[in-house]
Amino acid sequence: MMQSSRSIKRQSAWHMLASEFGESTLNEKGSGEFDPSFVITKLGSKVNRVIVAGLLERLEPRDTANGSVLYQGQIRDPSGVHYFSVGDYASDSMRELTLQLSPRVESGEPILLLMVAKTRLFQTEEGAIYTSLRPEEACEIDSNRYATWLTKTCQDTLQRMKTFTDSLDFEPTIESLTKENVASHMIEGLVASRNHYGEIDLEHYNLNIMQALDIAEGKIEAASTPPQQQLVSSQEDGSDNSDELGEILLDIIKKLDQGEGVDFETLITNASARGFSRSVAEEKIESLSDEGSIHEPAFGWFRIVS
Amino acid sequence: MSEDKYEDHINAVLSECPSADREEVREAFAKYESEFYIPPQDALRSIIRRFKGDIAPSSTTSTSSSSQKQSVSKKVASLTELSATDRDIEIEVEIISHNLREQTIRGEQKQIAFGLLEDNPWDEGGQRTRWEYKDWGPNSNISPGSVVRIEGASVNEYQGRMSLNINQSTRIAVLREGTRPVVAPGEPIEINSIPSDGYVCVVGRILSSRPDQIHRKDGSGSIDVVRGRMADESGTIGFLSWEPFDHEVGALVKIDGAQVRTFRDTPELNFGKTTKVELYHDSNFANAESLMEQNIVTISQLRDGSRDVEAVVQITEWTKRSFVRDGEEKFLWSGQIADPSGKCRMSAWEELPISESDLPVTIKVKGVRVRSWQGIPDITVDKSAQVEILESPPWDDSIDLSNHVVEVSLTELVNGSSRVGISTQGIVASVREDCGIIMRCTQCRRVLRDGNCNQHGDDEGNQDVRLRLVIDDGMSTSSLLINKDASLSLLNMTEEKIKAEIDSDGQMEFVQRLRGKLLGQLVTASGRTIVDEQGAMLLADKTEIIEQDPGLISTEIRAQWGVQ
Repeated sequence: MMQSSRSIKRQSAWHMLASEFGESTLNEKGSGEFDPSFVITKLGSKVNRVIVAGLLERLEPRDTANGSVLYQGQIRDPSGVHYFSVGDYASDSMRELTLQLSPRVESGEPILLLMVAKTRLFQTEEGAIYTSLRPEEACEIDSNRYATWLTKTCQDTLQRMKTFTDSLDFEPTIESLTKENVASHMIEGLVASRNHYGEIDLEHYNLNIMQALDIAEGKIEAASTPPQQQLVSSQEDGSDNSDELGEILLDIIKKLDQGEGVDFETLITNASARGFSRSVAEEKIESLSDEGSIHEPAFGWFRIVS
Repeated sequence: MSEDKYEDHINAVLSECPSADREEVREAFAKYESEFYIPPQDALRSIIRRFKGDIAPSSTTSTSSSSQKQSVSKKVASLTELSATDRDIEIEVEIISHNLREQTIRGEQKQIAFGLLEDNPWDEGGQRTRWEYKDWGPNSNISPGSVVRIEGASVNEYQGRMSLNINQSTRIAVLREGTRPVVAPGEPIEINSIPSDGYVCVVGRILSSRPDQIHRKDGSGSIDVVRGRMADESGTIGFLSWEPFDHEVGALVKIDGAQVRTFRDTPELNFGKTTKVELYHDSNFANAESLMEQNIVTISQLRDGSRDVEAVVQITEWTKRSFVRDGEEKFLWSGQIADPSGKCRMSAWEELPISESDLPVTIKVKGVRVRSWQGIPDITVDKSAQVEILESPPWDDSIDLSNHVVEVSLTELVNGSSRVGISTQGIVASVREDCGIIMRCTQCRRVLRDGNCNQHGDDEGNQDVRLRLVIDDGMSTSSLLINKDASLSLLNMTEEKIKAEIDSDGQMEFVQRLRGKLLGQLVTASGRTIVDEQGAMLLADKTEIIEQDPGLISTEIRAQWGVQ
């Protein structure tokens, strides 16, 4: 039968990790009033709606120029963070939930949230491109449902990675991918992605998935990594092993310096092999440099001051 | 488990929040890990925020979206709004025809396209203006029958006649794919790829043919026509010839210029004055017998408006009804039928040699027609001779069809016709705010809005329970309406309990609790579907959450994808 009216079909929701969504810099929107808009990810997912989950890390009210209150939040999964906002346009039920959740998360209560959200991509006046989500519905979930969401999301992401990799053998055109029987719901996104992003690296998605699967299996320890250094800004009090670390670092430089010095990463790796965390080692390098024991002839390369 | 496994993370927190208690920080990490499956590196920021407590979060820079670059193009809804000097216009049109032509332009051989287009493309049967156009691209995505948005075309006037120039820089956005095929005349297409309208050429064998008459509605007489069916290996289709048609059953014919018309959901070929019908010779073409075989359809393939249908089904319920028309008592037999693909209804206008005690009875119907009622196909038997009673079903007769439920993927359901007796799976992508207690009109069961039925006015209503969800498989979505019994058992609640919860906590809180239970969960639902232009709707008499073991699934994923 001829479709005589432009019926607005509901767009499917895709299970997606924060890393895949957050790296997107491409969107597509028809110019018609009711045309849906899509974000196109590097893997070629053309998404209007996603199902995401993770730790609710922040949910704060902000006053906007027009006097209304916009809630901005972020939700963290093993691969990274989704940013979202809940404003006047959100449904009553979503706004009410936001009002309930905000003080709880701000008081430090851990909350696992699952949400179905519309995707958005915007560009600042400086030209930077950001992704964000507009949740339509959300609910708190327990760790078992979070783990289930992780498995489904890994499964779907792996499938998309395979589809993406398989498609690399063919011309990035609708005709060619259709002819090669690439999954039809992926074709438009793949063509747009290939033309926009060019060559992409999938390795970090593999790492994200491994970590997510560890968590889903309850092996949180396997998924744990040391804290990242940028979070640690203040000084360590002069603890006992600080001097020991200083000796070790000086020793490493002495042994490895071939004339140009020793690079920062090598120092950190060697220190951590001796049981010193990255943050501690980094600070010690800085303090050795400050006190004049070592100097930095080129950025990131260290030598002993002779 | 090492006591110090959080040591680094605790130190990181303490260096940010020197006044925090080491033990409390350790407990926080342990809680995030054991209760929420959040590894310490991911919990770190939340924990720092918590122990910093009073420090106000730094606000991020405001993100006002930059003003959209507004193109200066003239956007119009109809062609009549355009004048001869308009450049860079934007309009949505339906392409009526598209013809390619070689033309020499400045000494260069170039292909261009020309044809007709009409404005107001979304309004079927509305007022439309038709213009000629020239496509200098030519754009490969212009095809007859498609609706496109043309951006950046210009108007051309020649001797008072207006036309549209589509230039190489013009952008064409296809809003609806063409339903008319782009086939060269005389190039036959397969019967199962016949579009819902347009002109086609097919080669097929005549399976049936009988003279018929169409009476003019105004009573000015009748037209002799011939109705029948023809088939190739890909499928079968009904035809209606307005001209004399004397090819015999079994003849192989080539038909060029047949017009496709679609009645309800069923396309049909129409042969008229300009249609060319000729005998065709192909010794490899399937014989009539094997083509007849594939003419037999399953219940899942029934389409509203189909004629000359042949099927083998089992009658599971059969009752006689009487009614009075024109002062005369008439009888109608009807009941439920099933085959392994699903269930539907059947009605007969003549008595069949079937009594209730014989049920289930397997029959073969031939030459029957299909009507749909609320999305459920209903095979109509006009004459008892159309029914043949079979000894036994051609399928495994241990299947109890009256309770048989066929598992169908959501995408297949959404893209097919309405079905009965199916079950499917999907993720709950929405829990609507009107879930819970509803009031139905006492006369028609419509849901009342503020005590008002839009058919019968004010009504005190009967209370009912219903859940309204959306399920999604990542490719297709369907509404899922769950009836009272299924809702109560899904929620494990009584109607009174639901009512009491809504009365004390409010509808919003009730729906939020439902989302807590259902959102993002994989469910299996069974019942029947109604599929129309609005999309798909599953009316479920049973819905269950599928409990999943994430540990086990992870192991399977690792095995399937080689993730170590």
